[in-house]
Formats: sequence, structure tokens, C-alpha cells
Amino acid sequence: MSAVLQVRDLKVEFDGVEAVAGVGFELAAGETLGIVGESGSGKSTTALALLRMLPAGGRISGGSVELDGQDLATLAEPALRSVRGRRIAMIFQDPMSSLNPVLTVGRQLDEAVRAHGSAAKPERASRAVELLDLVGIPDAARRLRDHPHQFSGGQRQRIMIALALAGDPEVLVADEPTTALDPTVQQQILRLLERINRERGTALVLISHDLGVIAQTCRRVLVMHQGLVVEHGRTEDVLDRPEHPYTKRLLAAVPRLAEPSTAAANSTPGPEPLLTVTGLAKTYGPRRRPVTALGGVDLVLHPGETLGLVGESGSGKSTLARALVQAHAPSAGEIRYRGEPLTRSRAARREIQLVFQDPYSSLNPRMTVGQILAEPLIAHRLGDAAERAERVGELLTQVGLEPDAADRHPRAFSGGQRQRIGIARALAPRPSVLICDEPVSALDVSVQAQVLDLLSGLQRELGLAILFIAHDLAVVRQASHRIAVMHRGRLVETGPADQVVTDPQDPYTAELLAAVPQLNHRSPV
Amino acid sequence: MRTFLLRRLPSGLLVLLAASFLIFLILRLIPGDPATSLAGPDAGPEAVAAIRARLGLDRPLLGQYLGWLGDLATGRLGPSYAIGGEVADLIGDSLGATVELTLGALLLVILLGLPLGVLGATVRRGPVAVAVRALTTTVLAIPPFVTGVVLVLVFAVTLGLLPAGGHESILDQPDLGVQYLLLPALCLALPSAAILGRYLKDGLERALAEDYVRTATALGISRRRIVLRHALPNALPPAVTVLGLQVGQLLGGAVLVEAIFAWPGLGQLAEQGVLRRDYPVVQDLLLLLVAVYVAVQLVTDLVYTWLDPRIRWE
Repeated sequence: MSAVLQVRDLKVEFDGVEAVAGVGFELAAGETLGIVGESGSGKSTTALALLRMLPAGGRISGGSVELDGQDLATLAEPALRSVRGRRIAMIFQDPMSSLNPVLTVGRQLDEAVRAHGSAAKPERASRAVELLDLVGIPDAARRLRDHPHQFSGGQRQRIMIALALAGDPEVLVADEPTTALDPTVQQQILRLLERINRERGTALVLISHDLGVIAQTCRRVLVMHQGLVVEHGRTEDVLDRPEHPYTKRLLAAVPRLAEPSTAAANSTPGPEPLLTVTGLAKTYGPRRRPVTALGGVDLVLHPGETLGLVGESGSGKSTLARALVQAHAPSAGEIRYRGEPLTRSRAARREIQLVFQDPYSSLNPRMTVGQILAEPLIAHRLGDAAERAERVGELLTQVGLEPDAADRHPRAFSGGQRQRIGIARALAPRPSVLICDEPVSALDVSVQAQVLDLLSGLQRELGLAILFIAHDLAVVRQASHRIAVMHRGRLVETGPADQVVTDPQDPYTAELLAAVPQLNHRSPV
Repeated sequence: MRTFLLRRLPSGLLVLLAASFLIFLILRLIPGDPATSLAGPDAGPEAVAAIRARLGLDRPLLGQYLGWLGDLATGRLGPSYAIGGEVADLIGDSLGATVELTLGALLLVILLGLPLGVLGATVRRGPVAVAVRALTTTVLAIPPFVTGVVLVLVFAVTLGLLPAGGHESILDQPDLGVQYLLLPALCLALPSAAILGRYLKDGLERALAEDYVRTATALGISRRRIVLRHALPNALPPAVTVLGLQVGQLLGGAVLVEAIFAWPGLGQLAEQGVLRRDYPVVQDLLLLLVAVYVAVQLVTDLVYTWLDPRIRWE
């Protein structure tokens, strides 16, 4: 097989700082290649450099990207434009923001088709229908008139793929194409990409932080670390017999669905329930057409227990979390704390604290870490200035940071450290219940493991009850005593963590489990 | 759309009612009295009192206010106190000229503001960028009465291209009308065009940094098309809001510009009305401006929803 894409010693600099330090690989026509790495490894920068679409400040400082003998790294801009989309196309992580919100899908497809070739309008229109059809959007002709917000997340990513295929490219670069999607939808998009690769012979470069996704889709894999390729080979060789220590570390850190829960060994839940939720419901919107976010949820949480809560986006997980911290009032049902109805008093609110998903946007960038941690203390009127300062130091030590971190701003910290700060903030008023809403999903696997360790250590030490909301079933199984599965605002199944994973009772749970990409689900060779 | 309009109707009426009350009150608070100025400096107190009685100014304020509202509701604007003639006729005679001026200015605001915004966002270096930035700041910093004088000096006095003042109806004599309209409309439009340009530039810059622009670039779409067809539609809705607010500026600015260019519009009428304490003329005129403003805001919201499909009328 001849190589369509040949990358040699590619180097990328951002304002003089090297982000990619010499990446090389070959891609044969119709081949699939995965690039895996953690944040900052340079994998997305490599992807953008392939189309020479680096953001401002970035430039290719060395090496070549040869597409059928033509070096894209040095090609003039107009010539480059006729290559983009036509011979090498790209799809991105977030299909919502990557599609133009004010243009109809038909207009956007039309733009993509007319960018390469000046076909007449009716031809372009029929091509647009053909493309939507190809990616599996039902009723394609009619849906051309719709705008992106009228489609589901998975459909939007299908539309992105349709756009990328408009120029019938030989190479499709997909940068984290399923990261923003639910597991079942992720599975469908990966199958679509596989089908396009198989039926149209489009070579696929799939960039992902998720080894499972790559294992399932790509025949070869490139492991990147700190701007370099540390390992490169056939996917099963790299996964089964990793040679580089970094690959070994990465593989060891990946949570696996098959591994049993470690929660019971960590802490034993107390007998008396701490939190009892009965018939909790929440509806939004106008009274005539209400939208049900929570449709009568019952659950109990014991001290020292971690209850994992899984479900797809829109299933009501976050609505439940917000109801528990009384960020909004439920439409019906009751929450009891230690047997008493939960009041809106300051003392009651103190007991239940929330840890957020995104450690970047949930910390105020203008406040120092000390101010961030002191804020809940001030809100709950705990201690004077000196006592608060002492508590801040204590909290930072508790979450594994140096006490002098208090003087710095969040930007001085990495994602994992920021999540530690988020956890410290939740712990500040000494709560007994911690609601963690996707606390590790924005983090790299190696950092994920550290934050999970921190949470279980805190549970052991403080006897915390934790409601652990996440979409990653492997993480949830590992961290939880019990798992509750949520679907369309209801709990369809609750049970011991290992049992829910190995012997699901509800068909929806089984569907969720089947959609989890696993390292041993190999792509067909 | 009908639901949307019906829903907005009560708040619009409320605004008009509140405005009518304020207008009524403020006019009464201005020192001076229509009866005194009508009677002249030599008149005795009896003569003034007689005039007051004839105009109904001796009635309690609340009665006067409700009387005015009643007249408005039945469509009777009544006679003016001092200028002479019916208020409806006075307003009708000047309305056309002001509509011409503001619409002309509005057109110029769009014609100048759009390219200013697009150039500002896309040309970052070089003489064009410097010129755009300098022009924007200059016309914002200089008040219309200075711009007006400078425009007259350059185009009327020095170059002799355009008339220095006066009015010719654009409907009767389009070519001559445009010549008379150009300078006052430009004078009125410049600051608003600069503001629109600034907003559009910021909106475009934001839009050009969005992910969908990256998508379009990856598809090989030309930069020009990306700016005009992909980014601009996203930058327009907020700019339309600003444009709607600027219409208020144009209406207010018209008073001043009409004075500079001897333009026989509502601004001139309002000036006379205020100087001579002609309550009916000024009251009705100001309320008319408020009504126009409310209507413009409504139109702005309608245009916004039309430009941004994510926003519904419901």
C-alpha cells in the first residue's frame, strides 16, 4: 500500500515554546491510525498542524507533512485551501460549537460543497441530501432547512462528518470526535467512522485521550507524550506489550470496567441513612407543556458510602445534584437528612456540598486560592479571619497541596490541582455529604486516578457520604459501593456496584454497559 | 409573531403612559408660563388670568393631564397656544422633513458602519487599519455641531458642491432633495456609524474566534466567504440591537442638526414650542418621539429573532 500522508519530523512552536517536538508517521490509503496522549501531549496540535490550521502564535517550525508528495507545511495559502476539505478534512470535538448556529444545515453543507467545485445549485442541493443520508440523518431532504440546535448531539456530530466528507477527502482527521458524547452515541459515531473508512476507503486519523476508543477503531496507534511519539505500532501490540514506560503507566491508569469495586475495602458504610430521598421530582417550563427533568427519584445514602450515579446527558443527574444542595426547589418529593426534613437553614446547607466538573470554569480566576477556600467559611459565618486562614492551610494540606498555594491564583495550577482546590472548597464548611458532579471527567487518566485516591482517602478519614456522578462506568464501578442508573429522570436500577456491572437487571443498564469502549474490543484487522 | 406583538403591547402602552406623565410634569416645571408669554410684557394680571382661563390652565394639574390624555385617546390634538394653527397640522407639516432626515441618516449609518466594522475586524495592520481606527475615534469624539460646521465649510463653502442649508422634499425633486439631504444626514449619522462599526467589529472578532470558523477553514472555504457568510450573520444580531438604540440618538440629534442646516423638521418645531412654552405642541411632539422609539425597539426585537433562529418569539 502506498502512503497518502507522510509526516516527517514535524515540529510546532507556540511563541517560541515547542509543543510538538518531532512527530513522524505514515498513513496508507484507507488505513486507520490512532493518536493517543494526555492533555498537553501535543496530539491536537499535531492534528491541526496536518491541515496547517494552528491557532494564532503557533507555527510549524520544522519537518514536513506530505500529502501525495505535496508538502503542506510549505504550501502557499491559496493552494492549501484547495487541499483542505478536498483531500484532507477534519472534524472536531464539540459538534455544537463547531457548527454555525445561525445558518441552516443545508446552507453549511452547500458552502462545503461549493468550496471545491462550482456545481450548479440543484446539483449542490442533491449532494447535500446525499451527504446527510450517508451519515444517517433520517428525512434528510426536509432536515436541510433546520438549524444545528434542532438536532441531537450525536446528529450534530454526524452533520460535522457529512461536512468533512463533502469534498470526498482521502484523509479524515478526527480530533476527539466522541469526547463530548454519551457512550451509546459515541458507539454509533465510531461505527459510522468505521463504515466510512471501510466503504469509501477514507484513511482515518483518530485523536483521542481514550485508549478504548482507539483500540476499537484503529489498526495502528501512536502514543504521544510531551510533544514526542514515545511508541508506535499495531494497536494490539502496543496495548498488549507496551514497551515504553510511559505507555505502561498510561495503560495501568486506565480504569477498566472488568475490575471490581475498591470501595468496600476503603470504607464501611454506617447503618443509619444520612440522606433519604423520596419521590423527588422536578419539572421545568410552561405549565401547559412541562419538561420532566426528575420523575420521582428514591434513594438513600449512608455515611461513609459512595453511591455512583450514572446515566446519559439529559437523564437528570445534575438536576438531582442541584436539588440535593438546594440550588433549586423540587416540584415534589422530600429530602430527609438524618431522618429530619431538609430545611433551607444555613446549618442544613452546610452539611451537603458540591464538587463541580470543570475545575477551570468553576474557580473564579480573579480570586486567590485562599480567598476561594475562605468564601464558604464566610458564607457560613465560620470563624474569624485568623481561624479562617488556619482552616485554609489545613484544607490545602488535606487535599495534598502546599499551604502556600493560598496566595496564588487558579491559573497557576494544573487541572488536577484545580480539582483538588475544588474539593477543598467543598470540604471547607465540614460537610457530611459530598455531591461530586463528574469530578474527574475533565481530567487525564493518570490525574483521574490521583483525584479518585484523594476522594477515597477523605472518605476514610472523614466518614463522608459521597454521591459520585459520572458517565464513565469503569470509574464509577471502581469508586462506588453501590451504583444507581438513571434514565429519563428515573432510577431504573440500584444495586451493589459489582452486581450492577456484571449482572445488570434493567435493559437500559445493559445497553449502557455494552457501549463502553474497552481495551480488549479490538478493531477488525 | 402575532403572539409576540400582543404580548409586548401592554408594556409598550405602559411606557407611553409613564412617558406622558413625565413629559407633562417636566413641562410644568420649566419656569415661565404660556399665558404670560402670550399676553406680552405690557399685559396686566387680569389679561393674563383671562388667557389662563381660556387655555384651561387654571384647572388643577391632574385635570389638565387627564384632559390631555382624553384628547389623545379620541385623536384630537387641539390648537397650539402660541405658534398658531392646529397641533396636528404643525406636526404633519414638519414630520416629513424629519423622517427624511432620520431615514437618510439611518441609511448612512448602515452604509458606513458595516464596512467600518468589517474592515476593523479583518484588517489588523497597515494604513487601512490605522485609517479606520482614526476615523472611528475622531467622529465619536467630535460633537455634531462641530462636524456640521466643518462639513458646511468644506463641501458648501470651499468646494461649493452641496448646499449649506435648507430643504427640498426628496419626494418632489429627488435629485435636488438628495443634495440638500446629504450634509445634514451625514452630520447626524457619523457618530452612530462609528458606534455601530465598533460593535460590529467586536462581534465579528468574537465570531471569527469561534469553533465554526475553524470548521469552515478546515473545509477550504475562502477567508472572504468565511467573514461575510459565516461570521457576519453571527455578529449582526447584537449590532442590530445597537442600531435600534441609535435610532433614539438620531431622533434626539435631529433637533440640533436641523438647527445647523435650517432643516424645517420636528426639531425646529420643538425648539419653537419650548421657547414659547407652547405646551400642546411640545407634549404631543415628545410623546410622538417616545412612541416611535417604542416601535423601533419592537422592530429591533423582531429583526433579532429573524436573524438568530435560536431565539423564539414564544
